[in-house]
Amino acid sequence: MDWLTPEVIGMLAKGLGLTVALTIITGAFAFVLAVLVTGSRISARRRLRWTASAFVEAFRNVPALIQIIFWAFAFPNLLPIDLRRQVFFDNALMDGLRTLTGLSVPYYVLAAGLGLTLNTAAHLAEVLRSGVEAVPTQLVDGARTLGAGSRRVYRSVLLPSVIRTSFPAVSTRLIHNMKNTSLASFVAVPELFHEIQASITRTFRATEFLLLAAVMYLLLSWVMTVLLNVIDGRLHTGARVSR
Amino acid sequence: MTMTMTMTMTMMAQTGSGQLDFVFGHLTDLLWGVPNNRPGGLVMTLILSVIGIGVGMAVAVLVSAARQSRFAALRWLATNYVRVVRGVPLILVLLLVHRFVAVSLGAANAFGSQRASLLSAAVALILYSSAYQSDIITAGLRAVPTTLVEDARLLGSSRLRTYASVQIPFGLRLMKPALVSQAVTLFKDSSVVVVLGVADLTTTARLVLGADVGNAPYWVATYLTVGVLYFLVAFGLSQLVARFRSEHQRMGLVTVIE
Repeated sequence: MDWLTPEVIGMLAKGLGLTVALTIITGAFAFVLAVLVTGSRISARRRLRWTASAFVEAFRNVPALIQIIFWAFAFPNLLPIDLRRQVFFDNALMDGLRTLTGLSVPYYVLAAGLGLTLNTAAHLAEVLRSGVEAVPTQLVDGARTLGAGSRRVYRSVLLPSVIRTSFPAVSTRLIHNMKNTSLASFVAVPELFHEIQASITRTFRATEFLLLAAVMYLLLSWVMTVLLNVIDGRLHTGARVSR
Repeated sequence: MTMTMTMTMTMMAQTGSGQLDFVFGHLTDLLWGVPNNRPGGLVMTLILSVIGIGVGMAVAVLVSAARQSRFAALRWLATNYVRVVRGVPLILVLLLVHRFVAVSLGAANAFGSQRASLLSAAVALILYSSAYQSDIITAGLRAVPTTLVEDARLLGSSRLRTYASVQIPFGLRLMKPALVSQAVTLFKDSSVVVVLGVADLTTTARLVLGADVGNAPYWVATYLTVGVLYFLVAFGLSQLVARFRSEHQRMGLVTVIE
């Protein structure tokens, strides 16, 4: 185990931290966005419905990697070089983020985060929509008859029921999102996979570090499965109490 | 701020036609690869996806057979194979497979590193795809009516025979939407082979833009085009999934979800 030097352990720990942070933050934003998009997709307003569906199809059908590279490397090129530097790389906001997080180029992390969030939100919205289709019409009709407005129906009847039925599929997607954070390594984001590659170039021990990475990602998947199962269980007991 | 806006607008207007010229000039490269490295581009992405999905399916059938085997060791092996492959990112599967391919071929010298990369990419996609497909097959087989299986067994067909001629053909129909949807996912995920330098659509976009700083204005147009190419295939296939799903609903069949 002489390849596991203190220096390398430090790098991997930092990478793991960023992977966990990216997973939680992009997952949470994506979920909220997906709920809003799903609400828009069943709205009475046609234009809103159409926009929401276009969002889902566009961000679901393009590979996450392409989206990440687009936001990180291509998008800033829309501006001429001086302006680009000012807007994306050298300003008070980025400097603040740099000192706060210790990241050398905070913009790349933000861009990768945006790519992951939009991609996962589109996938989650699709999952939630099949959940909406599974809600019995009597439930909605009943709430309507009792005098609930459409917003109230969405918030108190549809949403809880949809989240409960589609939660297993939501969990699968959130775990997929965790694995997709490894794609951020393509745009110089120092997350776990990036640091694994950096350790390999330092020590020339490819097999050892790749197997270590596999074990670490498996552990992350396993921890997420356990946590999401606990939440899933809570969702169902909650339903029984409120009835 | 208004000045910045005007500057940006003029800049974009100036490069607008240049962007189009650049993309159209490289469209054939994006579609089937840069010269003397063909097939590549979208065609290579499609080839890799078809291999991953096709051979992956054969592996998946074997894995799900092992998962319902009488032998506990075989069941354990198959279940954990799926668990491990599903638990790690595809990019890691690619590098691990490449590591073993390179080592077993003697550092890839004898084989030519490009062909070694292609072989690793194909094998990794097959393994990755098979894990997801085997989960779909297992769920689909569970949805096959038990009476059907019992009848076949009573009529004297062996367990293997029942699996191959009753469970798989019947279950396949239930799995169709989920399997096509998984194929779309693999098609998109195959973009990760860029890590091995296999000349697929994503790698070709990189090659076309190159390290030339002068190409900076063309990045947006190039990646938008790449996105559109992926979109056209993925969206087209996902329409097929939607049609299968509504067919199933009409026929009252259970639909297996991934």
